[in-house]
Amino acid sequence: MGEMVMNSFFDRNNFVHSEQGGKQKRQSILVTLCVIVFFVLSAITFMNFLYCLSDCVGSIVCGSPDVAIRDAIRSCPIFLSFFVTLSGLMTSHTFYRNENREILAKKAKKHALIGIVIGALIIVYTMVLRIAGRYLSLVEGAPSRLYPLDAVIYAVVFIALGVFVLIYVKHDAQKQLFFGVSRAPVQSKGRGVRSFFRSFWLLVALYGFCGFFYSLFIVDFRHGYVFYSVAMMLVSLMAFFTIAVWELFYNNLTAAARKKYTLPLALVSLAVSVVSTVIYFIALKGNLDGPSNVGFGLLPIAFSASVNFATLLVVAMPLVVSVTAVVKGIHRKHN
Amino acid sequence: MKKKLTYIVSVAMAAVLLISAGCSAPVRSSEHLDDYVFTVRYHDNFNILQLTDIHWNVNTSAKASMNYLDKLFKEVNDHIVKTQGADAKIDLVELTGDMFMLANSYHLTTFIDYFERKAEEYGFVYAPIWGNHDRHCLYNPNDLADRFANAPHCLYRELDDDLYGRSNFIINLTEDGTKDTKAVWMIANIDSGASFSETEFSASRDYDYIRPEQTDWYIAEQEHFGDNIPAIAYYHIPQDENEKAWKAVSEDGADIKNKFFKLEGFADNGNEKYASDFIDRAKDHGLKAAFMGHAHNVDWTFEYEGVVIGLGVKTGSELYFAHIDVESEDEAMKAGLKSVNINENFDLIGASLVTLTGSDGSFDLEHLYFNERDNGDFAVWVKW
Repeated sequence: MGEMVMNSFFDRNNFVHSEQGGKQKRQSILVTLCVIVFFVLSAITFMNFLYCLSDCVGSIVCGSPDVAIRDAIRSCPIFLSFFVTLSGLMTSHTFYRNENREILAKKAKKHALIGIVIGALIIVYTMVLRIAGRYLSLVEGAPSRLYPLDAVIYAVVFIALGVFVLIYVKHDAQKQLFFGVSRAPVQSKGRGVRSFFRSFWLLVALYGFCGFFYSLFIVDFRHGYVFYSVAMMLVSLMAFFTIAVWELFYNNLTAAARKKYTLPLALVSLAVSVVSTVIYFIALKGNLDGPSNVGFGLLPIAFSASVNFATLLVVAMPLVVSVTAVVKGIHRKHN
Repeated sequence: MKKKLTYIVSVAMAAVLLISAGCSAPVRSSEHLDDYVFTVRYHDNFNILQLTDIHWNVNTSAKASMNYLDKLFKEVNDHIVKTQGADAKIDLVELTGDMFMLANSYHLTTFIDYFERKAEEYGFVYAPIWGNHDRHCLYNPNDLADRFANAPHCLYRELDDDLYGRSNFIINLTEDGTKDTKAVWMIANIDSGASFSETEFSASRDYDYIRPEQTDWYIAEQEHFGDNIPAIAYYHIPQDENEKAWKAVSEDGADIKNKFFKLEGFADNGNEKYASDFIDRAKDHGLKAAFMGHAHNVDWTFEYEGVVIGLGVKTGSELYFAHIDVESEDEAMKAGLKSVNINENFDLIGASLVTLTGSDGSFDLEHLYFNERDNGDFAVWVKW
């Protein structure tokens, strides 16, 4: 079965790109690269978002809402930076999906405008706080050397990108510039529920990816936590990977290939998820203090509530995604 | 196929080699007792300033926090000079954990640079201790350890040993500041851990505690340097003695000397499941006092079988702290206010100062409540 899936991976005829011309293919690859870049940026800003949020929640839980408000006011540009990045991800994903030219123009405009508005908000907000003396300087420092100036620069970049998208979409309507491939559209049946779960899975994928990404730098391989650290990295990667496989691999297959490979792919995904989950719990059994010594830097919301919920969420999500895919695969096979 | 398999095996072996490169066999603490020890010159009126739970995090304005610490250091220094004479100074700063939470490398660098500047300015050395949250950051914990270990004015040692916790070390105060003369006082810095699950499927976690092998190590250090050397232990998480003493005082009306504020649980909201043997055994081996942090709304201090045990005053306004209200009907707040004899509202933030007054184990303890205010800062010293 694994071989079947691997064969489809290497068989160019199974991919939507195989039927496209050179220009269309180039545009499509460029859009895929944009999705990847914005995903990585979203993951990094999401980590910053979670860090700031976790601290604010901690203050509230500990009975100091005044401190939470003070901190949230200071870190508002960090919270907004995540949303402005997300608008970039959504815009590029709209091109990636490219259901049809009309929907593409409508959605791309919407996401670009959201990005421009949030970007403008970051700039105005920062300036107002500087003038009001809440920021002691435009390069006050912490959490970065240039904060909050770096947030302003980041916002300017996203405003420029938003304006570019608006101009591009306008020209596209007149001159038909974009020929990117059409991938499987989101089905209209149960669109609201699908949209909710897709958003939730995106957040888990971001959480998993940034967890894995930062683990390369911050995980402690000394002090007897090697096995737990590796397991932690593995489940973080799996949380991202199970979802990325469906978005970046499965959705790039042709309709015929998708029908053929849904169930095998789902079963492989399930098997890998089960193995990573088992490895995680074996590692945890050997390092019961592992999460608080190694894991919570990667799972910032985990420590806040004094429960292991967030860790379990990341561990369980690949299983949920895989089981859902298996059900979907069985359903497709019988229809 | 064979080629693929060879490739996979090679990659796996390389990974194992890389990982194992960071794992050498830990040393036995009992065979390396000297390796845990720093020495500093002792003199009467040796001043130890405890700063705890500074909690720099992603939301912190490092600049604002450093402004607060600047004023705090000046206040402490002025107080010492005023009460002990022009030659007196802060000799040692104990940072009893949670210096950071959800912080990153920028905070770490800025923090150490700041303490190096202040150490130079006031002539002290400083000793950081791990808190539960110092591990919850976007820097590698090893980076924190390495930077503290290499900072010129910082006393920090982390051995790859068989002791629980990342770093346990001793500061011996000796007559000439070298190992050649006898230790007059011993300062034990102990890592009280973070938290752990009871089983791999537990939904909740328990706060950590000082493990028996750490107590064994402390006693071994005492015996190695002459036993019954007057000692003070600094660590982060309060152990079960705090809760027992509080219950004895508040529920049973026990006649135990106690003072200051207790406005929340010490750890685990008062439901400690795991008791440490540290105080019980260390009190027979020179322990005169134990000071910790962790619970920001608590600086309650008491005397237990000859050992003064108490939480330091939380330093700075990060994460959370108590607003002391003289109009409050809360019994615990009223009791705290009565004990410190302050008649105006203030925030429970500041620092704690221990002055070693003699080599016989005598010392003074003062709590400083220090708040920044537009119309003149609030600074009140309260003696134990």
